[in-house]
Amino acid sequence: MNKRKPIKSISYAKWGYIFILPFFLVYAVFSFYPMVTTFYYSFFENYNQGLTTIGPNFVGLQNYVNLFKPNEGRFELLEYTKNTMIMWVLGVVPQFIFSLLLAVIFTSVRLKIKGQRFFKTVIYMPNLIMAAAYSMLFYVMFSEVGPVGMLCKALISPDFVVFQSVGASRGVIAFINFLMWFGNTTIMLMAGIMGIDQSLFEAASIDGANGRQVFFKITLPLLSPIFVYVAMTSLIGGLQMFDVPQIIGGTDGAPNRSTRTLIMWLNNVVTGKARDYGKGGAISVLIFIITGILSFIVYKSMVKEDPNAKKNKRRNKNVLL
Amino acid sequence: MKNFKKNIALLAALACAGTMLAGCTSSTTDGGDTTDAPAANGDTTAAADNGGAADAPAADANAYEAAQTAGTGALTLPEGEGKVFNIYCWNGDFKKYVESYYKAPEGVEFKWHEIANEGGAYQTALDEALMNQDSAAADEKVDLFLAEADYIIKYANTDLTQDVTKLGVQQWDTGYDYTYKAATSVDGVLKGVSWQANPSMFIYRRSIAKDVLGTDDPAQVQEALSTWEKVDEVAQKAKDKGYVMFASPLETYRTFANNSDVSYLNGDKFATTAAFDSWVAQAEKYVENGWSEKYGLWDNEKQAMMGTDGKMMCCIGPAWYFNFCMGTAQEQTNGDWGICVGPQEHFWGGTWLLAATGSDNEAVIADLMNAFTANEEIMDKILSDAKEFPNNTNVVNKYANDDSYGLEFLGGQNHIKMMAECAKNIKWDPALHTQYDQTFNETLPNNILEYLKGVCDKDTAMSNFYIALSEVAPQITHD
Repeated sequence: MNKRKPIKSISYAKWGYIFILPFFLVYAVFSFYPMVTTFYYSFFENYNQGLTTIGPNFVGLQNYVNLFKPNEGRFELLEYTKNTMIMWVLGVVPQFIFSLLLAVIFTSVRLKIKGQRFFKTVIYMPNLIMAAAYSMLFYVMFSEVGPVGMLCKALISPDFVVFQSVGASRGVIAFINFLMWFGNTTIMLMAGIMGIDQSLFEAASIDGANGRQVFFKITLPLLSPIFVYVAMTSLIGGLQMFDVPQIIGGTDGAPNRSTRTLIMWLNNVVTGKARDYGKGGAISVLIFIITGILSFIVYKSMVKEDPNAKKNKRRNKNVLL
Repeated sequence: MKNFKKNIALLAALACAGTMLAGCTSSTTDGGDTTDAPAANGDTTAAADNGGAADAPAADANAYEAAQTAGTGALTLPEGEGKVFNIYCWNGDFKKYVESYYKAPEGVEFKWHEIANEGGAYQTALDEALMNQDSAAADEKVDLFLAEADYIIKYANTDLTQDVTKLGVQQWDTGYDYTYKAATSVDGVLKGVSWQANPSMFIYRRSIAKDVLGTDDPAQVQEALSTWEKVDEVAQKAKDKGYVMFASPLETYRTFANNSDVSYLNGDKFATTAAFDSWVAQAEKYVENGWSEKYGLWDNEKQAMMGTDGKMMCCIGPAWYFNFCMGTAQEQTNGDWGICVGPQEHFWGGTWLLAATGSDNEAVIADLMNAFTANEEIMDKILSDAKEFPNNTNVVNKYANDDSYGLEFLGGQNHIKMMAECAKNIKWDPALHTQYDQTFNETLPNNILEYLKGVCDKDTAMSNFYIALSEVAPQITHD
């Protein structure tokens, strides 16, 4: 025993820190520092008027106040948040239902589907294509002279143009996002389901539970941590929606600014001719806050389904704050 | 364990949220104070013999004679001239012309900075370079850059461009007046030149014109399209025969905007003009009566209407449009097109060469600018080889009076004569143009197009435009 003590005092812990150091260094330089400066510059007036730069002049909260003031009688912040959320929900609801269904089918011990790898690869494939290229393809297909666009004209009405209808334009964007991401979600959920102890399924079937009961009483509750993660990443991804609507709706989010997302707005403010860094900073900070709030709501609403939620309520809250 | 997983999930999600802000950082350019440019010592570097004395726009014959030799490699570099000539451009057109037609003076290396124009990237890069011109090394400084009609004022009106008359460039009598006015600052200083003029013409489909008007002869078609009232009548006739006059109601926007006698902008205040209102009224009428489809100027749908089964009778555009932008027509209906002036002369687009302040290659700037305006051999190639409309009346007249000359695409029509007439009457008043012309000429009509399509009402379309304008120029107000 005595001999062992000095050996015990050799600590390998520092290696742990050294190994994770590169991540923190990169994070600090490329994520944390820009984040702080974004906050900082959101308090300045700083934009271009033609070839002259105005500022940076400290203006306090003026950039934020301006964002909450109506521009041409319209609340841009609210409008674009709404657009973003509508397109996200339109895409994410079918995506979750579809992915859950596929995940359950693929992991079912009873069905034992053959060629799983093949299917997994195929459903993941759309995600490998560049979003812009994928959107371009859909844009051409759904345009007035494209095959689907012409089909819509024939089926719905001769005056129907997909990209002139608010609903249809948003629908196409949501559909592209759905196609691109359901494979990813399916694979995540499959991993989640496979992480559930198989003996629970066996016990359930011995007890005579039918498929539906197994799904709602075992699979779904035990899947909830992964589900929360998937929902949350999807929400954050959804709030950052940019490339697909930018291609489909153009910079201004045609028709009638209905497909302009928050990030498209931010992009145009910061990289547009005025290069309004102050306003851009303020928009970034607000998107950050919106993301925080919505993540909180999603997290809360999903965790409620967990019977242990009450017990953990306090802890979860602490983590979030 | 479950809680642990859950917390990990939450943490991971928050970390992702955190990274959202990354990349949105602000880079402060140390701009603001546009520096006093090192004044160009005109007389040391003048390419033409008479030096920088010629202030008056009327050029004397000797100077023109001298300028004719520009671009033949005859220039010997003066002492102290830089060896690297930096040109900023957004596509390879001018580079191609320089490489094939222009003989550079001994000892100068041309360095092309080609930045595609997507999303305004060209202007962004150019602005950055011009604003840092002072701190750049001599061989890195911008010497010459290209600019389009819609934003040339932005550069011409600043100290970042220099007076080219001091370098030996003049407004030649052979050049079209408007091309010089466009490159002149509000206080009357010439900052650059253009090798082309861009009179925008009515481009009509011959077979449809025959069916509708009974003729495809340019003179007779012009007669039928000589006033807007007559254009309306033809549009109705075309509709009766199952055609449309235009594919886009935006087609006529430039005609109205170019002929406006007031600016959109008064100080920092925006107001729509009478010309704009009449265009909107016309566009409404055309859409309502089914005389025009509701596509955008650059939509694939419009291209499709130029094809074999296309029903579009007319579109409007200059030489660069019908030579390079009517892809479907060039493939399928080549030779079935003709041009005429239409009811009002106007121009569309154009590329200018501007001299950057602080350049260390002033002699080359002058040589290049004179070569691409006064050297008639080069200008001839611009017309005959590059199929552009050159900014030199001597060359233009040579072809205008040559009956054997004609364009295959236009069914053998000699378009030069008609375009020459048109180019003479193009108006450009520097006081009517602003650095935001691009936004006014593109974003504004595109928003009105949404209204014409029935996507939103006119007030919403205007408010959409004002929001877009506020992103381009936050300081501009309106009623």
